[in-house]
Amino acid sequence: MIRKRTSKITGMAAVLGVTLAPLSTHAQDPAQMFEMRDRPTLNFYGSPGIIDMPSGEALPDGQFTLGVSHFGGITRNTLTFQATPRISASFRYNGIQDWNDDGFGTYRDRSFDVRFLLHRETSSLPALTLGLQDFAGTGIYAGEYVAATKNFTLNRVPGTLKVTGGLGWGRLGSSGAIGAPFGSDRPGFVPGDTGGELGAGQWFRGDVAPFAGVEWQVNNKLGLKAEYSSDAYRPETRRSVFTRKSRFNFGAEYQVSNAIRLGAYYLYGSELGVNVQVQLNPRRPISPLRLPAPRPYDIRPARNANPQTYSADWAASTEAASTAVRDALIPLLEAEGLTLIEARSTARETEVRFSNQRYAARSVAVGRVARAMARVLPASVETFRIVPVENDLAQSTVVFRRADLERLELAPDSTNALLVRTRFQEAAPGLPGSAYNDDLFPDFSWSIGPYLSPSYFDPDEPFRADVGVKLNLRYQPAPGWVIAGELRQQLFGNIGDSTRIAPSALPRVRTDAARYSREGETSLNRLYVSRQWKPREDLYARVTAGYLERMYGGVSAEVLWKPVASRLALGVEANYVKQRDFDQRFGFRDYSVATGHASAYYEFGNGYTGQLDVGRYLAGDVGATLTLEREFSNGWRVGGFFTLTDVSADDFGEGSFDKGIKIEVPLSWFLGKPERRTVGATIRPIQRDGGARLYVPGRLYEQVRSGHRQALEGNWSGVWE
Amino acid sequence: MSSVRHIGMMMAVAATLAACSSDSSERKGLPTVIAGTLKSAIAARRAGKAESTQVTPKMLAETKIAALQVNPERAGGSDFLRRIAQRRDSNGMLNEVWQSSDSAQIFLRNGVLVGTRGVGTDIISSDASAIIRAVDAKGSRRGTRRYVVSDGDNTSETVTFRCAIDNLGQEGIFIVNQSFDTVHLRETCIGGPSGEVSISNDYWVLSQSGLVKKSRQWAGPASGYFEMILLKN
Repeated sequence: MIRKRTSKITGMAAVLGVTLAPLSTHAQDPAQMFEMRDRPTLNFYGSPGIIDMPSGEALPDGQFTLGVSHFGGITRNTLTFQATPRISASFRYNGIQDWNDDGFGTYRDRSFDVRFLLHRETSSLPALTLGLQDFAGTGIYAGEYVAATKNFTLNRVPGTLKVTGGLGWGRLGSSGAIGAPFGSDRPGFVPGDTGGELGAGQWFRGDVAPFAGVEWQVNNKLGLKAEYSSDAYRPETRRSVFTRKSRFNFGAEYQVSNAIRLGAYYLYGSELGVNVQVQLNPRRPISPLRLPAPRPYDIRPARNANPQTYSADWAASTEAASTAVRDALIPLLEAEGLTLIEARSTARETEVRFSNQRYAARSVAVGRVARAMARVLPASVETFRIVPVENDLAQSTVVFRRADLERLELAPDSTNALLVRTRFQEAAPGLPGSAYNDDLFPDFSWSIGPYLSPSYFDPDEPFRADVGVKLNLRYQPAPGWVIAGELRQQLFGNIGDSTRIAPSALPRVRTDAARYSREGETSLNRLYVSRQWKPREDLYARVTAGYLERMYGGVSAEVLWKPVASRLALGVEANYVKQRDFDQRFGFRDYSVATGHASAYYEFGNGYTGQLDVGRYLAGDVGATLTLEREFSNGWRVGGFFTLTDVSADDFGEGSFDKGIKIEVPLSWFLGKPERRTVGATIRPIQRDGGARLYVPGRLYEQVRSGHRQALEGNWSGVWE
Repeated sequence: MSSVRHIGMMMAVAATLAACSSDSSERKGLPTVIAGTLKSAIAARRAGKAESTQVTPKMLAETKIAALQVNPERAGGSDFLRRIAQRRDSNGMLNEVWQSSDSAQIFLRNGVLVGTRGVGTDIISSDASAIIRAVDAKGSRRGTRRYVVSDGDNTSETVTFRCAIDNLGQEGIFIVNQSFDTVHLRETCIGGPSGEVSISNDYWVLSQSGLVKKSRQWAGPASGYFEMILLKN
């Protein structure tokens, strides 16, 4: 019951005059059983650490953090994601006031970090982490480190003590250096360089300096920190951003809530600082989802005792049976927020195809359809075939034995027991001989609502946005056909105010965004017709034509191969598009391009997914995009991508190549009620013209995958919810 | 700073813009959905914790169907659940589904809570064979208790506990205006993700019929403990 973590008394303990004891813990309240314990706190770089120095610990797996710190005119905003139990990545946007050099008043920059946990803390050994800070290019924060951290409990004082020591290179080796073990030829920071490229040549080069720190977590709320910093802050002090008088930093932190921690500090003998730390875990929803309890299964009477209830007479013809089943199920599915599309039934087997606008997890929808079927289908039907459909694309067939559902509903371990008895099959493109729900087409819908379109990292104004009203219209004349449009009226905005016109050696395929914003106050954002269908049971196809996005119009065609239980999917997309006029009405500019990609998608398991797109981009450049993402079963996705094309770093301009991060969060995670929509953002350090892709509405992969085996299994307990 | 104010104003306008659409709730505008959620959360917080209901002899006399009084300790208040399903499994155990007035459910197997629905972070299923056998035998026992618990996002986790079940002896309990001779069993469990989570369930088993007349059982991370009184079987 009591976890053993013994450790030797160290020099630090002698200094403090206390004895260090094993870390012991107490019985835990079940209400907190899924809460993350032993979370490291964040430093001014938004990484696990002390104050300005890093520590040797890793965040809990999947943890997503935001750190905002400020001292001496320096602000750092950092997103960190613990992508695997041992690897984390950070994206940072910083501003340094009073720079007054290199053409900047305030110097703003983006940087990426990556950290590797080399050793997890044990009873005798500390946690050990290797970190590369600002590792892409000659960034201002470039530095490498190895840090070790060990936890102790104290005998005579409450709380726990965390002791960290490490070695730093680059920025973290600039003060109190003790040598240069791997060579001294480290290139310096060059403001205005295109940057963006891996700085492997400089890693661990130059001076190395030790750093250290202690963190005393006095109780659940209060923590005190002190550290010895190895950062000389040379670029800043040289430009008089602040005066560094000491190597020691001190601070106090307060845990306001489970997610939020605030800290106040005294740094470098001259500056006061603050740090806001926000930690979330995608696996722990802010509001747990509450679904109305489903009606329990209606259990059929035993066949021996009631042979007449198992009579097949009701299904004299498939047509009559299918029609009866369809009519009985339509209202039951409607009550669950689901729409019956078609049904086909014999005396022993019924197939139901339906669409789902309510539940993010398809498994919940499948479970609710199965319950509706058990309620109304005569006892002779033993096999349920349930097919989720996304706009005429039948995703998969989930096959249940009715007896399994009846028997397992209240059984121990019902989730796994049902999973091993369920079959996932390909869904045929259509269901010949079915009874179709004739009320579905044509269908017209509309909505009016606000929109906000953000723009990040303008050197003059780091966050810009346009806000307005949008009108969406959608008409579906027949299954698989969509005619849709979006009109926008901008009300406020400052994206168009941007006066910086960055030069581009390429056709200006994306860098005219400010002009589109300025001249398109009343605009036709999209207007297109599309058709999608399944040519074969594992093939999906789409053709779209019209004004596809605000900058391009044309035609787009896509074919995707994705067997229902396969981790691999392959796709091809070909587009011919013309650049739209800045006013985003019906006219076009002179530039047109044939662009398209061959894509491979792979689900590695445990939610890790990869996508490789090879092809021609909007500026006519040829290359490939690699995207790696971690997707949680509840729909949270965090990932990153980069694109390399035949455009040279110089021609590409700032950043050298296209890259960015993607975050997507399901709304139900915040709201605690069923909701399919998500909120998200793709953030690029900078948008240039190289490696730019077309945005096409309704790409196939995401439409198809949500109802395939991997996705259904990830939420399988939802079948019973 | 002016830009910050500017953006703040833009956000405020965006949030107050009424969103509307042609049809179903699924297509409601986001601001409407979010505002609705906030309103109900604030209303729930203001309402505070309600007292549990004291059942009077008259109320009991007028109850003609099976009724289970549930007093959630954390949420407060009381609810009276109806039995909506009852079936014997292949092991001869009696499984029951009880439904609350707000469409939440409790699954009981021989009086032991083995599932919840619609209460949030639900218990999807539970392997409770040790305590079920102990209730049957009114004796002490040791065994494993396993819960599949919803994370509140359509994913679930299996948590395992080591449990000791102790017979605390005969106890007379008083419900409404009647007294009952019972055997008091306590199931003390330790385990869970950290290995240090403790759960303790109490059962008052009727000496005569072996029915669980009253209990206090854990109903999931968000629900905490429920006191349950079988008013009428």
